Formats: sequence, structure tokens, C-alpha cells
Amino acid sequence: MEMAIRTQGLSKTFGRTRALISLDLAVAPGEVIGYLGPNGAGKTTTLRLLLGLIRATAGRAEIFGTDCQEDPVAVHQRVAYVPGEVNLWPSLTGEETLHLLGRIQGNVDEAYRDELIERFGFDRSKKVRTYSKGNRQKLIVIAGLMSRADLLLLDEPTSGLDPLMERVFRDCVREARERGQTVFLSSHILAEVEAVCDRIAILRAGRLVEIGTLAEMRHLSALQVDATLDGSVPDLSRVPGVSAVQVEGNRLRCRVVGSMEPLVAALAQANVRHLVSTEPSLEELFLAYYGDESGPGADPDGS
Amino acid sequence: MDRENGGGERRPARTVAVTTARRAARPGALWGIVFGATIAASAVSYDSAFPTAASRISLTRIEGNTAFEALFGPIRRMDTVAGYTAYKSGMFLIVLAAIWGLLVATRQLRGEEDAGRWELFLSGRTTRGRAAFDAALGLGVGAMALWVPTFVLTAAAGASSRVGIGSGASAFLASSVAASALMFMAIGILASQLVPTRHDANLLGAAILAGSYLLRMVADADPRLAWIRWLGPIGWIEELRPLTGSRSLAFVPIAALVVACVAISVRLASRRDLGASALRARDSYRSRTFLLRGQAGLTLRLTRPVIVAWAAVLVATGLVFGLVVQAAGNALATSPGIQKVIARLGATSAGAAAYLGFVFVYAAALVAIAVASQISAIRNEEAAGHLDNLLVRPVARWRWLAVRLAVGAGFVLLASVLVGAAAWVGAASQHASLGLGRLLEAGLNVAPPAAFVLGIGALCFGLWPRWAIGVTYGVIVWSFLVEILAALVNSNHWLLDTSPFLHVTPAPAAAPDWRAGAWLVGLGSIAALAGVVSFVRRDLAGP
Repeated sequence: MEMAIRTQGLSKTFGRTRALISLDLAVAPGEVIGYLGPNGAGKTTTLRLLLGLIRATAGRAEIFGTDCQEDPVAVHQRVAYVPGEVNLWPSLTGEETLHLLGRIQGNVDEAYRDELIERFGFDRSKKVRTYSKGNRQKLIVIAGLMSRADLLLLDEPTSGLDPLMERVFRDCVREARERGQTVFLSSHILAEVEAVCDRIAILRAGRLVEIGTLAEMRHLSALQVDATLDGSVPDLSRVPGVSAVQVEGNRLRCRVVGSMEPLVAALAQANVRHLVSTEPSLEELFLAYYGDESGPGADPDGS
Repeated sequence: MDRENGGGERRPARTVAVTTARRAARPGALWGIVFGATIAASAVSYDSAFPTAASRISLTRIEGNTAFEALFGPIRRMDTVAGYTAYKSGMFLIVLAAIWGLLVATRQLRGEEDAGRWELFLSGRTTRGRAAFDAALGLGVGAMALWVPTFVLTAAAGASSRVGIGSGASAFLASSVAASALMFMAIGILASQLVPTRHDANLLGAAILAGSYLLRMVADADPRLAWIRWLGPIGWIEELRPLTGSRSLAFVPIAALVVACVAISVRLASRRDLGASALRARDSYRSRTFLLRGQAGLTLRLTRPVIVAWAAVLVATGLVFGLVVQAAGNALATSPGIQKVIARLGATSAGAAAYLGFVFVYAAALVAIAVASQISAIRNEEAAGHLDNLLVRPVARWRWLAVRLAVGAGFVLLASVLVGAAAWVGAASQHASLGLGRLLEAGLNVAPPAAFVLGIGALCFGLWPRWAIGVTYGVIVWSFLVEILAALVNSNHWLLDTSPFLHVTPAPAAAPDWRAGAWLVGLGSIAALAGVVSFVRRDLAGP
């Protein structure tokens, strides 16, 4: 099947900084994928490579079977991009900007554009330089969505939008999926990703460390275990799968990866009075990937 | 901004002054070197150009010529090095210094505010008024940086026994030039408070400069209207009479203007909101989608104001050259020395044509600077991230750059035709016997060096985008200095070949050398092509 996005060994180095390291990714048409990572993980670098704005150091990227570096113009005919940082021509008005970008992009659904302007409550009569950050973001979101492109590349698209507008945006993404558009949503707003994405890819220090549905990830990752014992807590340092042990009197908190059995066996002698295990939220998953493990050199340029 | 946090204990208010000073001092010193070299070149060349008393006396004939004085200011003591130098470099440098002062001030105040960086300062331990005052102090350092090399180079040239301009007179001349920069810095600071964008602040400042220039033109055209000179800043600089009288009285209104502008600016800055302007700006605009059909239309729309402004400057320059050509030609015809200087640049004619051939070197430099502003615009479009909006859509990179360069090339052509045509209009009004065809040719003759500069700029943009603007202007400054050198010495040194201006003949004083022109255009085109190819292959580069 022709993939909406396919990258193979895609890498980018800026000077001595390795911003993206051998990314292999496949996104099927119609899929909504969340691309997560902290600042500097390589999210924007990935998007700029997909758009052909920067050259890959190694590897290749294709969008709908067309090479992103070889024929960016053909790629762009099927793509709409919404950046997180908006730099528009300050002397043009909102209306002029939409007109221009629509003419250049082509395929503008004018009725949908007007509907978006209405839903986002956007005043297009002002000059770009007088817009607030949020209004500028609305403008670029409308410019991206109005073309009904086959693939939406969204880079932290809601930065600066208020919660009401964020909700409008999520609705728009859901509608895009219903229409069969593919969405690549780079973000660090976990609730947004959790709400709209089918699959999630997690990037750390330029490497893809995890990709899958939220359910799969939960299954694979650590459970949080809280237990209260009658006796004192035994030494758990050698128990397989157990980490991050915190002991407070006869109360225990730890993380368990894989089977619970070794832990249950180890605790059996101490008489367990109360035991709760919780699946991690996306936030906990995210923190698990970055909080403890981020080692030195994990701060490449170009988030 | 780079060392913002490096000072640790340094008070934020000082940071504004220091940062502004650092940003203004570098270009200030650079312009000071150009100004100093220009003054020194005029002073040193006088002796060789006018070696005999008779040739010097002949120069005094243009004293009192109304057309000349209206354009260049009163002409005095042309039989002395000082008088000649004051006439040669005076008004030209004063206006350049004013333009620089205005641009640097609006960039450091309204430009920083437009970019959202000003609020970073204001969130520190300073106030809006205090920050404006400190920025004014920093700009003052920039004016000092302009003064030092101007003074040093003038005094160094003046120390020669054949020149004999004392260090006191040199300091006074440098002060006059720096005072012009300082006044228009102050006007720029005030304009930055009054209007909502840097673009508008520049327009307001430019209008004041143009108005003040017109006032002094009127004053100098008729001795009975001399008092009008006291009504505007350019007139005050003229009243200082550097090198020909050194009258300090006019420093009083100059200082008063600077103090008043800064004081009002500080007050306005502390009363108005950040990002707002003292004069109320319109909130909504009627959108005009005129030209906004694609990338080419957008380019035209964005560059239109700059192109119109440059066209006006070039027409005015050509007109000025034409208006004075008859009188200047008559004066020059009797001077074997100046003929020799012009001959060194390749002139074969004498009189009016020789004069135009000589001054068209300035036109060539202006057209080249105008073209460099296009390279600047291209690079800034990329650095500001505006280009991203086009290149993430179906716009090919090569096409984008090719369209921008084509606009630049079209502009070169337009500019050179305008200069030639305007010079003809001016010359025809003085009944000079120079045909339209010949002056259009002379105008077109300045196009090849500018096309070459455009190509070099495009190449740098493709290869080293962050250096493109500096290198492009650097090439022009270098070429111009080499050209001045070539006029002074008899030499075939290879260094002279590095100036594209020297590869074209000084038309209309000689027939244009179209072959050399074609070479320059060809080399420029190859460089531009290489620039486009490099640009397509490189990463987009931020600021």
C-alpha cells in the first residue's frame, strides 16, 4: 500500500549536533498520528525534512510515494502545513494573507474557509502585525486547513490558542479524519494527542523510542504499584521487573514492567493488606521516557 | 542580545545602552571610514588636479552659481584645498550621515519593538522611558564611532603639507557630519514613538529630511532668503561652514533639537503602551488583493515601496547632475589637472561630458547600493521566516529566487535608464549639448556593475546566507574606494581590477565599452545561477 508518510533511516545533523537519528516511520493514509517529544527532541526537524526545507544528512523520506527532497513541489500539492511559530508578512491584512496563501496552495474550499473563519472567530480585516499570538495562530491554522490537503502536517498547531479554540481545533482534526485526510500532529500537549490520535510516536534526543496505539503502550510499559503491608517491606532490589522503589514505613510504591508475579511472590511473606496497580496515563508514559532516562547530550538543536 | 545574562550584576537599564551602543558603533565606525576616506581623497586629489594658481582661480567661477549652490550648498574659497574639499564632500556626506542616523535609530527602537524584543528589555529592571533614554545614549555612542574615523582620516590627510587642513578644522568637519547623524538619530527616536511601525518611522524621518533639504535649497538659491536656512536641520549644518569658516553658533539649535527630541521621546515612551504609537493608528484596513495572485505578484507588492523610493532618489540624482553640468563643465574645461583625473578613469571628452562621466561614478555606486538592498530584502525574507510560508506550498525554490533576482535585474535596468533620462532632462534645461541617446547610453552603462553586484549577492545568498548582506555591501564599498584610489594615482595595479566600476568606461565622457559590460553581466549571471543552484541544495537558514 502507498503510505502517506514513509521514512527510512532519515537523519539530520547540524554541525556536531545529531538532531534526528535514523528515523523509520510509516503512516498509513487516513491515519491520525501524534508525534511526541520534549523541546529539542527533533520534532520540527522531522517536519522540515518532510517538507524539504532542510536537506537530509542520510536516509530518505516519501510522502504519497514522492521523494520529499527530490520533488518537494509535487509533495506540497498534497500537503498542508501548520507551523507552531508563525512569521507572516506584517504589512498584509489577514484577508490578504489568506487570499495569497490560498492562491499559492490551490484547491481552496472557499465555503469551508469561511466556515473556519466563523468557527475560530477570526477578524481578517487587521494587519498581521497587529494580531496577537493567538490570532496569528488562528490565521495560519485556517490557511492550513482550508485547502483540504490529503496530508496535514501540524507542528504544535495550538500554541497560543485558548482552550475554547483548542477545542474547535480538535473538532477540525476529527472532521479531517472523517473525510479521510491523514494527520501528522507534532505536539507536547498530551491531552490533545490523547484526544485525537490513533497512534503515537515518541521521540527522544533525535531517536524514535516508541510507536504504537496508546493501549499498546500502556500494555508494554510500567504499571504503578502501591501496596500497604503488615510487616516491613522486604528487599526488592533483585526482583525482576521492579524499579523506582519508594518505601515509607510499611507502605511501598514501585513500578513494574512485565509480569507482576515476581513482585507478588516477593511480597507474599510480608502479608499484603492492600495493593493497587494503575495503568500509566499518557503523561506518565511520557515522563517515564524522559524524566529518568534523559542522559547527557539529549539536547539537540531544532526541536 | 548575545551576552544579555553574562553581566550578572549589571543593571538592566545599562544593558539597553550597552546593547544599542554595540549595534550602532560597528556600522558607525564603518561609515566613518568611508566618510573619512572620501574627504581625504578629495583633499589629497586637489593638489594634483589643480596644480596651478590659474586652474584654482578657474574653479572659483562656480562660486555664486545659483544652480550649484542650490544643490550643493554655498561654495566658498574654491581656490583652497579646504574650500574644494568642503564643496566636494560636504552636502553628500551630510545627507548620507542623516540617512544612516535615521535608519539606525528606527531599527534600534521601533524595529526592536516591532520584533517583540523590546519587551524583553522592558520586563527587566527598567521602565519604558528609561529604556528609550538609554537607547538614545547608546545611539550617541554610534555617532561618536562615526566621528572618530572621519576625524582621524581627515586629519591624517590634512597633515600633508600640500593639503594643510589642521586637526582643529578636521575635528570641526567630523563634528558637522556626526551632528547630522545625531540630529536624525534623535528624529528617528521621536518618529519611533509617534508611528506604529519602523517603516512608517522611516517615512516620517525621510519626509523631514527631504523637507529640510528643500528649505536649504530655497535659502541657497536666493541670498535674500538666506534666513530660511535657519529653519531646518540641514540648514544648520550648512551654517556651521566646516573648513570654510567653522562657525559654532549653529551647534546651539542642533543641540536643542537633539535634547528636545530625546526628552519628548522619553516622555512619550513612558506614557504610551508598548507596541502602540503616540499618533493613533487605524485599527482595520480594507483588504486589497491587488497583485496577490502568486509569488511574483507578492514580490512586486512587497518591494514596490522600496523600488519607488530608490527610483525617486535616482531621478533626483540624475536631475542634479544634469542641472549643474553646464557650469561645472565650463569650470572643468580650463583645468588640466581635473582633466587628468577624469582621463585616468578612461575619459576622452572634455567639458560637460567629462563632468558627467566623473559624477556618474556616484550614480553607478547608488544603483549598486539600490540593488544590494534587493539582496538584503531576499535574505531578510528568509531570515524572518516569511519564505517558509511560500516554500511549504507548491512553490519551487529555484523559481522563488529566480523571480526575486529577475525583479532585481529589472530594477537595475529601470534605475539606469531613469538616471540617464533624468540627467538629460536636467542638462537640456541648461541647454547643454548632450543628446538623450548619449545620456541614456551613459545611464545603461552603470547597469553592468550593478548586475555584477546582484550576481555576487545571489551567490553569497546561496552559499553563506548569513553573510550575504555584509558581503554585498562590502563589495560595493570596496569597489568605490578602489575607484577613488584609481582617480588619484597612475597605476595599473591588479588591485584596481577588483572594482567592477573600473571595468566600465566613464560614459558619457567616453564611448561605453559594451564588451566589458557584457562580461560583467555574464559573470554576474553565472554567479547568480550558481547562487540559485546552491540555494536549492542548502537548508533554509534562520536569523
